[in-house]
Amino acid sequence: MKKIAAMIMLALLAWAGPGGAQEIKIGLMCPLTGDWAQEGRDMQRFLEMQVEDLNAAGGIKGIPVRLIVADDGGNPRSANLAAQRLVESQVAAVVGTYGSAVTEASQGIYDEAKVVQIANGSTAIRLTEKHFTGFFRTCTRDDFQGRAVARAVTRLGFRKVALVHDNSSYAKGLAVEVEPLLQAAGVEIVYYDALTPGERDYSTIITKMKTLSPEAVVFTGYYPEAGMILRQMQEMGWKVPIIGGDATNNLTIVEIAGREAAAGYYFISPPGPQDLSGEEAKAFMAEYEAKYGQMPGSIFAVLAGDAFKALVKAITEAGSDYEAISSYLHNDLKNFDGFTGPIAFDAKGDRVGDLFRLYRIDGEGKFVLQP
Amino acid sequence: MIKALPPALVAFLLLLPPLVCSNYWLDVLNAIGVSAILAFSLNLIVGQAGMFHMGHAAFCAVGAYTTAIMNTALGTPVLWTMPLAGMAAGFFALLVARPIIHLRGDYLLLVTIGIVEIVRIALTQDIFGLTGGANGIAGIDRPYIFGFRIYKPSHFYWLIWGMAGVTIVLFSYLERSRFGRALNYIREDNLAADGIGINSAAYKLGAFVLGAFWAGMVGTILVSKMTFVSPAFFTFWESVVLFVIVILGGAGNLKGVLLGAFLVTGLPEAFRDFEGMRMFCYGAAVILLMIFRPGGLLPSRPGDYNVAEFMKKLAGPAPNPRSGEDKRP
Repeated sequence: MKKIAAMIMLALLAWAGPGGAQEIKIGLMCPLTGDWAQEGRDMQRFLEMQVEDLNAAGGIKGIPVRLIVADDGGNPRSANLAAQRLVESQVAAVVGTYGSAVTEASQGIYDEAKVVQIANGSTAIRLTEKHFTGFFRTCTRDDFQGRAVARAVTRLGFRKVALVHDNSSYAKGLAVEVEPLLQAAGVEIVYYDALTPGERDYSTIITKMKTLSPEAVVFTGYYPEAGMILRQMQEMGWKVPIIGGDATNNLTIVEIAGREAAAGYYFISPPGPQDLSGEEAKAFMAEYEAKYGQMPGSIFAVLAGDAFKALVKAITEAGSDYEAISSYLHNDLKNFDGFTGPIAFDAKGDRVGDLFRLYRIDGEGKFVLQP
Repeated sequence: MIKALPPALVAFLLLLPPLVCSNYWLDVLNAIGVSAILAFSLNLIVGQAGMFHMGHAAFCAVGAYTTAIMNTALGTPVLWTMPLAGMAAGFFALLVARPIIHLRGDYLLLVTIGIVEIVRIALTQDIFGLTGGANGIAGIDRPYIFGFRIYKPSHFYWLIWGMAGVTIVLFSYLERSRFGRALNYIREDNLAADGIGINSAAYKLGAFVLGAFWAGMVGTILVSKMTFVSPAFFTFWESVVLFVIVILGGAGNLKGVLLGAFLVTGLPEAFRDFEGMRMFCYGAAVILLMIFRPGGLLPSRPGDYNVAEFMKKLAGPAPNPRSGEDKRP
């Protein structure tokens, strides 16, 4: 009840407009309803904690920060309204949001109103290809994953691999990214084909690969097929490592394959919130867990936190107008210490470097971060 | 004179928003307008013909993608593609509705849910390499009317509510036409309608195709407003919302449907300040309405036909058969 009362108070304050007490408003656009409501709630909690900590420490140069949350419903059409709403509450900058299509629907509005936006979960390539000067993202782009997969293959020392996708746009896209990168790194691709997702029997494709004797299999599809392949390779007595993309980062893979067959499976994925290194991140995560009884469900809430941190830094150093923030983020923010590692943005607004880490499933069926 | 007052008042009220509203509220009104036009076209199928169709977003999607593909690949101006988008959606409706048109009630509902999901998944899977997969198609032009570029919320307000006005006029004529009456007979009793010589399958199919045609044209407006399109626009939930608008407002009653659009699309925005509670308030409102007004807020009233008047007119010019008899010797 207290929370509702607080919300109503907040709403009334929002109406009071700029005539009220001096404060810096930062918007958060996140999906509080719809399919991704869980992600949105984590994002909101994460940023609320950060704002609390920040204001307890005196805000930005003594000016308190207020977070204004708008629900985008995980849907482009309501995102349009959420963005208009935030622009109207005169926020200095906006963090969010999760889905790529949702972000895309809001980009134009923020650009027109000259509000800096830092997205935290939108990985579609073209978002940063539009040359909006005020658009940034703390997550990496879809095409960065291909590099991470290729890097993992070369790092693990495989010289001869089979490359398998499933013709879905995600898996095929990733395979198309990976192929030239592997070839450039001198890795021989002995087999390159698609399987049909949803089948129960992949023995034909496995037999074919076996005759070509690759040192490893790179599978860019989803976890159900990865699990089936692992199981059937085990049944056929062929043991070579498989490396997958982040669509196989799902505990169900162990159930499908069985613990024994799943052991030794590698995949590339952004780190989970529990695997973050860095003292500050660990401390904050512990605080979060103590307060809400659980960690955020995925890394994306943490990336929203990174976006907020970068904004606070930019506003502290350069002031709170559009030009100042965007130019600071583009040019002056270098190696800034974020929760997920160093943050810097390139000329397009993409985060420099990538987030992907290599994981391996151990004998217990646990996902272990590889150093 | 008095009768003309309410429409004049409504017209005046419709002129006001662009002058007084902020961009946010204008866009809320635009969202309501888009929902309203889609709901009018769905009303033809659900309200007039009484077919439970919960896949209307699929037709809107076909229209939207038609515009998106034609505009980005061929450079056709957005508004020119509008009739084509409608035709593509109508043709698609003809193809998918023909085999299922005999299904009744819940069975039809299930199949239409299937249709909208199949369309969404096909779009996500980048069907024929045309739809751009999960990311959709970007870079769609703004519409131009005689060289005037429509891009501000206030411009779209005129475009959307102009189309809504045209829709209301056309659909209210349609409602009272031979076609509309036939659909109402089918809704009330399919068997009886067949009995009085109405080809119910053809009329039902006609309602589907026409409803889809209109939804396809709305697709054009939708993508030109967003300047991009992705499968996320056309989820099953969007179809459910449209269905709720029609049922809640009053199936078969255009005023009811308009009211429904204002409530279903507008209320969640009005409750935005309560953020966490807003879906709760919304859900509670829907449940209460269905308990206390199961026919919708403004239920469709049975048509008012003066039978005595009609008979008199029918009998008037005809010669009196008795007069002939009297002349017999």
